[in-house]
Amino acid sequence: MREMTMKKAISKSGWLLAATALALFFVAAAYAATPGITGPTFNLTAQQAYLNQPDGAAVYSWGYGCNGAPTGFAPAAITNATCLTMQVPGPTLIVTEGQTVTVNLTNSLPAAVGNTSIVFPGFQVTATGGVTGLLAQEAAPGGSVTYSFVASSPGTRAYYSGSESDLQIEMGLYGAVVVLPTGNAAVTAACGTLTSGGLPPTNAGNNRAAQVFWKETDFRLAAAAYDHPKTCYDREYLFQWAEMDPNIHAQALAQVQARTGCTAGAPGCSLNVPTEPYKPAYFLINGRSMPDVMDPNYAAEYPHQPYNGNPHMHPGEMTLVRSIGQGRWQHPFHEHANHVRILARDGNLILTPSGNSLAGILMFNTDTTPGSAFDGIFYFTGRGLNWDPYGHHPAPDSFGDPLAYLPCTPDANGYNTGAPTAVNYFEWCQDHNKPMELNPLGDVAGGGPMTLPDPNIFTNGAWYGGNPYLGPDASLRATAPACATTSSATLTCTNLQPANMQANPANERGWAFMWHSHNEREITTNNVFPGGMLMMMLVDSREFVIDESN
Amino acid sequence: MRNGYALSLSLLLVVIASGIANSQSFRVQCPTSTITHPSTLTNVNAEPAYSGPTTLAINSNGFYAPTANVNGAIKCQQVSGGDGYSTMADGTQTFMFSFGPLSGLADIANGQAGTEFPNVFNTVYPGTLKPGDPAMSDGATSGASPGSPSLFTFNGAAGLMPDLDAIASGACTAPCLDGHVDPRQIMDIGVMNGNIPAPLVAFDEDDEMFLTLTNVGMLMRPDLFEQHTIHFHGYPNASSFYDGVPDASVAINIGGSFTYYYLAPDAGTYFWHCHITPPEHLQMGMVGQLYVRPRQDRVPQGTSLYTALQQQNGLGTTVDLRTACNPNNDILCSAFTPAINTGLNQGLDLLGNPQRYVYNDGDGSTAYDVEYPIQMHDFDPNFHFVGMTFNPEAFVDMRGKYFLLNGRSYPDTVATGPQATMSSDGRMHYSQPLPALINIPAGGKASLRLVNLSVEQYHTLATLGIPMKEVGFNAKLLRDQEGNNTEFYTNSITLGGGESLDVILDASDAGCGSAGCAVKLYPAGSVFYLYTPNLDHLSNDAENFGGMMTEVHICNSVTGGSTYGNTCN
Repeated sequence: MREMTMKKAISKSGWLLAATALALFFVAAAYAATPGITGPTFNLTAQQAYLNQPDGAAVYSWGYGCNGAPTGFAPAAITNATCLTMQVPGPTLIVTEGQTVTVNLTNSLPAAVGNTSIVFPGFQVTATGGVTGLLAQEAAPGGSVTYSFVASSPGTRAYYSGSESDLQIEMGLYGAVVVLPTGNAAVTAACGTLTSGGLPPTNAGNNRAAQVFWKETDFRLAAAAYDHPKTCYDREYLFQWAEMDPNIHAQALAQVQARTGCTAGAPGCSLNVPTEPYKPAYFLINGRSMPDVMDPNYAAEYPHQPYNGNPHMHPGEMTLVRSIGQGRWQHPFHEHANHVRILARDGNLILTPSGNSLAGILMFNTDTTPGSAFDGIFYFTGRGLNWDPYGHHPAPDSFGDPLAYLPCTPDANGYNTGAPTAVNYFEWCQDHNKPMELNPLGDVAGGGPMTLPDPNIFTNGAWYGGNPYLGPDASLRATAPACATTSSATLTCTNLQPANMQANPANERGWAFMWHSHNEREITTNNVFPGGMLMMMLVDSREFVIDESN
Repeated sequence: MRNGYALSLSLLLVVIASGIANSQSFRVQCPTSTITHPSTLTNVNAEPAYSGPTTLAINSNGFYAPTANVNGAIKCQQVSGGDGYSTMADGTQTFMFSFGPLSGLADIANGQAGTEFPNVFNTVYPGTLKPGDPAMSDGATSGASPGSPSLFTFNGAAGLMPDLDAIASGACTAPCLDGHVDPRQIMDIGVMNGNIPAPLVAFDEDDEMFLTLTNVGMLMRPDLFEQHTIHFHGYPNASSFYDGVPDASVAINIGGSFTYYYLAPDAGTYFWHCHITPPEHLQMGMVGQLYVRPRQDRVPQGTSLYTALQQQNGLGTTVDLRTACNPNNDILCSAFTPAINTGLNQGLDLLGNPQRYVYNDGDGSTAYDVEYPIQMHDFDPNFHFVGMTFNPEAFVDMRGKYFLLNGRSYPDTVATGPQATMSSDGRMHYSQPLPALINIPAGGKASLRLVNLSVEQYHTLATLGIPMKEVGFNAKLLRDQEGNNTEFYTNSITLGGGESLDVILDASDAGCGSAGCAVKLYPAGSVFYLYTPNLDHLSNDAENFGGMMTEVHICNSVTGGSTYGNTCN
């Protein structure tokens, strides 16, 4: 019954508890980007350590890590990056197209584990040193091996152990290689460069100029995902999906401990851990389960799980989703709020026969397949809702709130992109000023098709702002005018958010969407919901500064 | 009871909004005129022909409103959130958390959507609805004897009543059907009335959709004061408010109704489900089908499909950017004008109805004669038993043992008419209204709108004989950014949980070229099978026979409609 109490507490009424806990974690904003280490020479080691899970478990695991300080970290704007000697996923190796990449791997795993290695699917690898293995040249316990390959084409790809893979990948020996494009004149013309910003051709406008105006740091690794002008992006996130069966990890630990001090290769100095039957209880994005996954990159609580999953974006920003299946199961990764255009699979850009345009499919569930990576573009604008998401006024309001009364001048695509400085930059103008509610809601005009019922029949969510609207003051205007903008002393005013328990910074006015595995059993942590492969994606109003550096 | 924390959260809203909040917690909404569909300009109770984009102009209130050529209509539907029982193919009664129909009751019983025009939705039942209706009025006596589903014909909103208080106060004139309901009738119909799949939702591009969720509570689990929500899975550019994720918006408490509002998104096969504790509520059965029919269905006879799509895509004289797909502007649209103009004009299908399409293809490549939504799912009997008996639920061990197409396993999939189950209230309920039997007129094409809503596994569905043409994936036409169709022929499809795709079961003789075949490839009277090659899924728990399989019947003609409930002659 203890388990039931626990489960019910969280799933039924415990969102309050969960949210409170989350709110504590969210004292600082925590975002994601695609953090990693730069080369082109990488000194890696494979070691053992424990991974923290939200149920309190410390799961014995193996992972790749840095053997000494790496050449550098990227993106440069994330300044607290670290690379310990073991992490899951392994360090994200960020290189540039055409570079000759050298990976020196030292096997520091317990002797009983035996040899380990790395395979780099999609690259022509030559290996020196080490001992011969089946899929790759291997590093014997205490030994080393060197892999070398040319980063021949851009994109996101997996790397993982090629030795006793059914066990070693389960234990955590996997990571990602991100190859940045060298670019060309056409890409620069369309996407700009990291320093100059640009005009994404797929969405006329200037997201980078808006970011600069709002003093947002650029956390991209490049201006385009590929050497193609249709692959520009404004923001990027890398998600690696894997699951863990704690029984396998426990058995591995027991056997390693029983063989402590044995001599590698000696009789009895090896593991015999069955990897079937397989019953994973932990479902991981970037080595973490929800809610831990939404804590910052390099958070001190998870020394061996440095990478998070906590995507944020502004309306209209082209967001590059890099995703890799690292476990042995497929996971249908459902992006709420819009589709994803698949750009490439395993670094292979999918183009029309002419080569001029994209031919990858559109998906609202982007399957993650073991050993397979994809790059895709996602964006959100709120187009076509048939009501103004900002709750704008058609005329100046009695409270003198300038943000309630803003122009929306449609560009050729219908978006307000003329002024990157506007709070409602990238608003969909066809619904501008169009009311949602039949009755006025606070300061927001009425006349729409809906009648919202008594708020008492709702239960508000932890990420819900208390009303349907987006924007720095919309939630206040929709309930009570903000004190600062109230011109009449007789009116009630508030500085509180209506829900007042958002799992987000107090000044963040975002729309939250769940990004998760739609094999819903996987959004649990060891039988407890919520957990597992679940993160919230925030569409933030333009003025909110998305700072991915913490 | 009201949840304490909901109350505390909402105090501010109460203070501010008490003047506007409707005091009745059960209610429906189905306006007869809106900004987008003003009754002065259009008949909201019918789908007008598509002769070009709606003309919009900024009105005196400062926002765009139509002035002419209004497209689409208003559609409304009400569903209950609660519990119920279904019958598995081995006879096992299975407890569910589930949605049930509270509008379109007769249509649902006949295998169709419960989505209605306002003039149907806003009708008052002339008598008193009985618990278990429509199965009770139809005389259902067992799962295999659903009575006569033609007896009960009411399709309006269950519980809808004249608002007598409003009439008395002078705020409204009789009959004053303003959404006021009689809660008793809602409880009588809604309690223990779960369906698997959840009630079918289908509407048309340009429609405004008012989908009311009424939480009637779960009779078998009084310990749970479960909220429910509706997640419209795949809605592009969704608002978080109407996205149904309880963490990011609102969840509907027991005793409340909430109306979700959607302007129809791009045509395609979507689906809907509750988003409360998804591994539990989805496994327990709160999953339904939803699709949006394309504008191209409404193109007048003899009109070029290519031209009509050009108009939608902003290449005509009137431009509506909302309907436009230009890949140079929008990386997330797929219904671009085709690279090749096939010159096809709108015509009639094999049933003699205006030709219909899965997408706005502009070239007729997604045309079909009959359409069948098919939901793949699986029930873990252990989890459902635990869910009924107050026991702790284990997610790690969850494993489906009943493999379902539209909530049924073979051979129930080929039984016609609704399937009834006696619930713990001692009354028959239509628990599984949708068959999965595919009738195709000889030489015809069937649109299969396929969805997998398993919460723990991928499923494959294969066809023996008739090839599948996959034309859409995740509610998007398969077409690249230069207008080349990327459709392909296959004999199997694989979907993970929460995924959809569109195939055309192509029983035409297209393979024989324009001269046709000497002998029909798929002659009338032949039977083909649609089944899962995950062979262990061809079982019903302990029975080593059944599971995820159904039949495709080739008919001399198909009458009585182009979807479930029709007749194979």
